[in-house]
Amino acid sequence: MLCVPSHPSCLEIPLRYRRTTAGVFSALLAVTLAATAQPARATTAAEPNQVQGLTVVPGDGYATLAWTPVDGATDYQIERTPVAEDGTATGAPVIVGVWRPNRQINNSEPTFADAGFAPGNRFQWWVRARLDGTAQPYSAPVSDITRGHWGDPDVPGQGLRTQWETTLGAQYTDDVDEYAYTSAIDELSDRVRVVEIGRTVQDRPINMFVIGHPTPPATPEAVAATNPLVVNCNVHGNEPGDREACLIMARQLAFTDDPTTLGLLSRTTMLIVPTINGDGRAANSRGNSTGQDLNRDYSLIRQPETQAFVEMVRDYRPIASYDGHEYGNSNTGDLPMLPPRHQNVAQGIFDQSQHMIEGHMYTQGAQDGWWACPYGCTGANIGLGEETILRNTLGLKNVVNSLLELRSSGGPTRPDEGNTANNRRRKTYSALWTFHQFLAYHGANVGAITAARAEAIRFQSANTGRIVFRGSRPIEAYPAPHPGDTPPPLDAPSADQILAQPPCAYKLTEEQYHGARTDGPAGRRTTVAERLAAHGWRVVKVAGGYLVPLSQPERGLVPLLLDEQAAEGLAAGERIAPTLTGTHNGPLTVTGVACLADATVRGPVRVRPGATLIVNGGSINGPVDAGGAAGFVLTASTVNGPVNVTGTTGPVLLVGNRISGPVNVVNSAGVAPLLAGNTVNGPLGCTGNTAAPVNIEVANAVSGPRFNQCARL
Amino acid sequence: MTDTDSATARPALRRTLPIAGAALAAVLLVVVGGTADGGTGAAEAGPTGTTVTGPLCDLLPAGAEPGNPASLADQPAGEALRWIPVLTTFEAAVRATGLAEELTREVTILAPTDDAFAGKFSRTNLDELLLRDTDELRGLLRDHLVAGALPVAGLVAAGTVTTVAGTRLTVTGVGPGARLGDQAETVCADYRAGAARIHVINEVLGDLPTTAGQDDDGHPAH
Repeated sequence: MLCVPSHPSCLEIPLRYRRTTAGVFSALLAVTLAATAQPARATTAAEPNQVQGLTVVPGDGYATLAWTPVDGATDYQIERTPVAEDGTATGAPVIVGVWRPNRQINNSEPTFADAGFAPGNRFQWWVRARLDGTAQPYSAPVSDITRGHWGDPDVPGQGLRTQWETTLGAQYTDDVDEYAYTSAIDELSDRVRVVEIGRTVQDRPINMFVIGHPTPPATPEAVAATNPLVVNCNVHGNEPGDREACLIMARQLAFTDDPTTLGLLSRTTMLIVPTINGDGRAANSRGNSTGQDLNRDYSLIRQPETQAFVEMVRDYRPIASYDGHEYGNSNTGDLPMLPPRHQNVAQGIFDQSQHMIEGHMYTQGAQDGWWACPYGCTGANIGLGEETILRNTLGLKNVVNSLLELRSSGGPTRPDEGNTANNRRRKTYSALWTFHQFLAYHGANVGAITAARAEAIRFQSANTGRIVFRGSRPIEAYPAPHPGDTPPPLDAPSADQILAQPPCAYKLTEEQYHGARTDGPAGRRTTVAERLAAHGWRVVKVAGGYLVPLSQPERGLVPLLLDEQAAEGLAAGERIAPTLTGTHNGPLTVTGVACLADATVRGPVRVRPGATLIVNGGSINGPVDAGGAAGFVLTASTVNGPVNVTGTTGPVLLVGNRISGPVNVVNSAGVAPLLAGNTVNGPLGCTGNTAAPVNIEVANAVSGPRFNQCARL
Repeated sequence: MTDTDSATARPALRRTLPIAGAALAAVLLVVVGGTADGGTGAAEAGPTGTTVTGPLCDLLPAGAEPGNPASLADQPAGEALRWIPVLTTFEAAVRATGLAEELTREVTILAPTDDAFAGKFSRTNLDELLLRDTDELRGLLRDHLVAGALPVAGLVAAGTVTTVAGTRLTVTGVGPGARLGDQAETVCADYRAGAARIHVINEVLGDLPTTAGQDDDGHPAH
C-alpha cells in the first residue's frame, strides 16, 4: 500500500526529525473487507475479551490484519486457515503470528502483516487475545483471496516472473535468470534503462535499473538532477531476500498503471542495483569470490564490485539509499534498520535518516503491520560506526540512508516459518514493502532531504570541527512500547579516536598515490589515485606529491582513508597544517601551498602560477586573483571583492562562500570546477573550462547574471 | 496495484497437515480435530512411487509444488539439490567442489540442512570453505556420501556404513528415519534423484572443528 502524498498520514514533520508519541492513525484502512463465510456463532453477541473489528487488507505478498485491542491483552495470536471460495477449510489452521506490544509504536491500533503464504491463495483469519498467557475467544473470522504474483500474466511485461516466483520460493533467481529477466524488462519498458555499472571479479555484469516516467533521463548527470534514490539489494551473496524484492519491484515500476507510483517516477529516478555481488550470490558466500566482505570495503574500494558502486554514486549522485541484508537473529523485529552513525557524518544527514526510519518506517509499519526496529536492538555488538560499511560510507557522502535487515528466521512471532518457502516469502515481501515505502518517503520528503544534503555539503566543505576516526552517534531507545529492548551499542569514540584540530589537507607521495598496491584481487588492483578518483575527490598536484584538501564535500571520509591514525586507512598521508590562522594585513601573495583557516586577510590575495590556495572559513577584504594556479579551494569564506580564477591546472572548488563581487572561473584544465552553495552578489561567469563547472545539485544564489558554462549553476 | 490471480502462482492446495508434523518441536502447529490425516510423516506417494520420510518433509515442496519429490526423481542429484530449499549451502558446496558428476552415480547423499551448516561453521569459516579451501570442503562432502543408492531402511539394515571419505558411521533406526553416528538424524529421507538417494540430515558429519559463533559480532551465518 503506497502512501498517497496528499493524505494526512503522509504529512511529515518538517525540518529536523522529532520523535512524537502521538502515534499513528490508520485511517487509511478504507478498503477493508467484509467478513465472509462466518460461522453462525460469529453473529452472536461478543464473548468476554473476544477480539472485535478484525479487518484484512491484502498487500503484495502479505495481508494486513487490524483489530480493536482487548483491555489487558498481553499478546495476540493470529491463526490462518486455507479455505475454498465457499469458505470451507482446505487445510489445517495454523498459528502464523504472535503480536507483541513491542511490534509497533501505537498499541491502540494493533496490526499484523501476515506473510509467507503462496500469493493468490484464499485464506480465513481470526485473532485472539491472550491475557498473561491465557487464550481468550477468537474473533469472528474474515476471509479473502490474497493478491497473486504482481502483474497480469497476459499483459506484456506485467506477465514476467522471476525464477523465485515461478518456483514458489523453492529456488532463488539465479544469475542467468536474472539477466534474462532484466533484459526483458529493459526491452519491454520505456521507463527502464539497464546500465552495466561494472563487472565482478569473475566478470559477471553488475546491472542497475534506471527507472523514470515516462522515460529515465539519458545520462548520469541528467539523472543526478532528478534527486534519485537507490536500493542496493544484495551485497552478501548468502542474503538474497532483498534481491528478489528488487527484481519484483523493478517489474512493478516498469509496468504499473498506478498513478501515484507514476507520479513519483515522473519527479525522480529510482536506481535499483539487484546484485552487486553476483559471484558471492552464485557461490552462496557472504563475501565476493575472493572472500572479501564487500560491506567492509565501500571506503577502501579494494574490490571491483564496491568500486563500481562508489563510482555510480559519484556519477548518479543519489540523495537517499537503502542497503538490503538478512539478519540471523530470530528474536528481533521483522525489519531492523539503522542510519549512518559515524560521527563524521553531518548531523542533518543523520537526523534525516533517523526521520526516514523512526518518523516514517515505524509509523507506516505500525499501520501496515510490519515491525521495523533498530538494528542491534538485541545487544549484539553490531551496527557500529565502521566507515567501510555502506550505511556509513553513504552517510559520509551526504546520502540519507538506512541499512535494512530481514530477520532470517521466523522466530517466536512468526511460528509457521519452518517451511523454507514461507520464510523466504515473508522476508522478500517485507523488503518489497520497505522499498515501496522508501520511494514514497523520498517523494514526500525530497525537499527536506535535498536541504539536508546541501547543508551537509556546505558543512563538510567548510572543514570545521573535530575529526572522529571511529565512533558513532548514539541511537536512543525509542519510547516504550516500541521497539522493545535495547538500542544498539553506544559505540562512542574513545579519546584516541578523536583529532581535535583538523589538518588542512593530506599530502601523499608519488609512491603512495600512484604506486602499485597489493590489496585487491590480482589483475584488478587499483592505485590510490584511481580510488580517490572513484570517490570523486579533488586532488592537487604539488611539488613532491599530491595534496588532498579536507575542504570538500566528503571531508568526513578523507581522514578515514588518509590519516596515519585511521582505523582502516588507505595510505598514511602527511598532515598539512594551516599556514595562516590569524589576521594578515596587506597584500598576500601565494607561492607553493597556502592554507588559510579562519584567517582574516585585509588586502588583495594573489595566487602565483603553480601555487595552491586553500581557504576554509574566515574573510578576505580585497580581490582574489589566481592565474595558472595548481589548485584553488575556497570554502565557507566571506570575500569582499572580485574572485578571478583563471587557467587553473588542477581542481577548482568554491563551496558555501559569500562573495560580494563578480566571480569568474575561466580556462580551468582539470576536473570540472565545483561551484556549490555560494552566495554571489554580482555576476558569475565561466568560460573555456575543459570540463563545465558543476554544482552537484546545490544551487548558488547569484544576484547578477550567470554566463556561459555557469548559466545554470 | 491490484492483481489478478496468476495460474503460475497457484499451487495445488496443500494436503492437510499430518499429525507427525508435531515432531517439529520448534514449530507451533495447531492441528484441530477432523483435519489431520493421522499420517506417519511419510508424504504421499508420487507418480513414480516417490515417498519421502521425516518430520521436515511436511515443510518442503510437496504435492504438485515445484520441487516436489516426484519431480526430482529423474533429475541428476546436482540438479535435484537445487530444488530442496533447505540445502542451499550443501548445494553450493557441491558446485564449489565440482562434485556434481560424482553424484550422478549410484550414491547415497547425506545432505545437511542450512541450519546444520550454520550451527557448525562460522560465517567466515563457511566462506573460506566455499571460496578457498575447496579441497577440504570436498573431503567434508565425501564424508556425506556412501557408495550405493541406499534407502533409509537400507541404511538402518546395514547398521554400519563407510563414507566415500572412509569414515565408518553407525546407523540406527529412529522411527521411520535413521540416526547417523552420535547425533545426526534424517529429517527428510528417501528423495530419489537419478541413480542417487538423498537423505536430508540435521547435523554436519565429518571431523572438521566446530566454529559457529566465533564471528566477531556473533551474527550467525544464514
